[in-house]
Amino acid sequence: MNLPKIDISTLPDLDTLTGMFGSLAHQGTHFSIDDAPIDMMVIVYEILKALGQT
Amino acid sequence: MFVHPEIEALRSNLAPQRLDQARLDSALGQWRAESPATAIEGEMQRFARGEALARLPQLRALFTCGDTAARSLVDRLFGAFLTGLHANPLGQVPLRQQSDGTVASVVIASTGAAVLLVQALDGNGLRRRAQALTASFSSGETWEHVLSGSADAELVRISGSRPGGVELDRSPCKLSAGMVNFRDGARETLRLLAVPASLVTLKLQRRMVQDAVACEYRLADGTLVHQAAGSSRESRLELAAALLGRMGRSDAAPLLAAMVEERGSQSLRWQALRECLGLDTALGFSALCRIAARTGDPLAAQAGALRGQLLETYPQLKELAECHV
Repeated sequence: MNLPKIDISTLPDLDTLTGMFGSLAHQGTHFSIDDAPIDMMVIVYEILKALGQT
Repeated sequence: MFVHPEIEALRSNLAPQRLDQARLDSALGQWRAESPATAIEGEMQRFARGEALARLPQLRALFTCGDTAARSLVDRLFGAFLTGLHANPLGQVPLRQQSDGTVASVVIASTGAAVLLVQALDGNGLRRRAQALTASFSSGETWEHVLSGSADAELVRISGSRPGGVELDRSPCKLSAGMVNFRDGARETLRLLAVPASLVTLKLQRRMVQDAVACEYRLADGTLVHQAAGSSRESRLELAAALLGRMGRSDAAPLLAAMVEERGSQSLRWQALRECLGLDTALGFSALCRIAARTGDPLAAQAGALRGQLLETYPQLKELAECHV
């Protein structure tokens, strides 16, 4: 079957877009709210430590 | 440029730096051995799997009003770190940490969907921040024990829904040392308005629904202004799907087609569908038809509309579509 190649820029998004984790429309919201989900980046120290153990 | 001789010495020889680090690692190790940390870490694993806090004695004690366990645990840990840093100022505290000058967080234990952390907030820093216009809600539970300091705060609750937003109920409250609070993050959030000096809290958070989204509403009228992925995992998968698409990795199309039909956020599934359609028309269109035919799938209507649009643009897809009737 000869199928077309679909250009994804022609495909619609959902009506309500969802931003990346932690993104906000208004900066400052997290500064006065203390319930932001805690999800920290692994700090370099942990990576170095892990490498040192291998 | 002036470089302090002690720092210069450290730069020229890595051994003292490693020695400093080893001393802080040892302080953490000693705290683990002498405090209930190991038992708490064990309970955290059960807690992350959904066990009720009431059935976990060590964790429950940390969030019981009037119990000294929380203060004792944190005092011993930070006492050991401060002594270690005083003697070895270039060492790194060997726990996950983050500070923006106003809020500092140190993760004491973390497993799966649960995290136990200490958070310190500087009142002067808070005063300099712009006033928030919105409140953000994300699925998860938060227990909080105020260890020291006080704060004027506002509890914001979602009391009902309406088209394009929610009804918000806002009530002032005060936080003071010794208080223990619980909040259901999907419908409650706490805004800290003023902190006279500083506020130190021990927090336990558990994420509840993996594919839930975080919603940000305007405080003035409850209008939805933004929604974001509720977990870093969702965003990581979405970025991976986009990257595979840009790389033209058609060998990843079966994986993307599976993601479309798995349980996940609507956003992640839709983006996986778009990328799959771009990489492999047959696989992507088949997945689209299956979603469109599913009753009860929140993406069914949009999938049906896209299916119709694609059939109109590319009549040659009709044969594929008939396989799914």
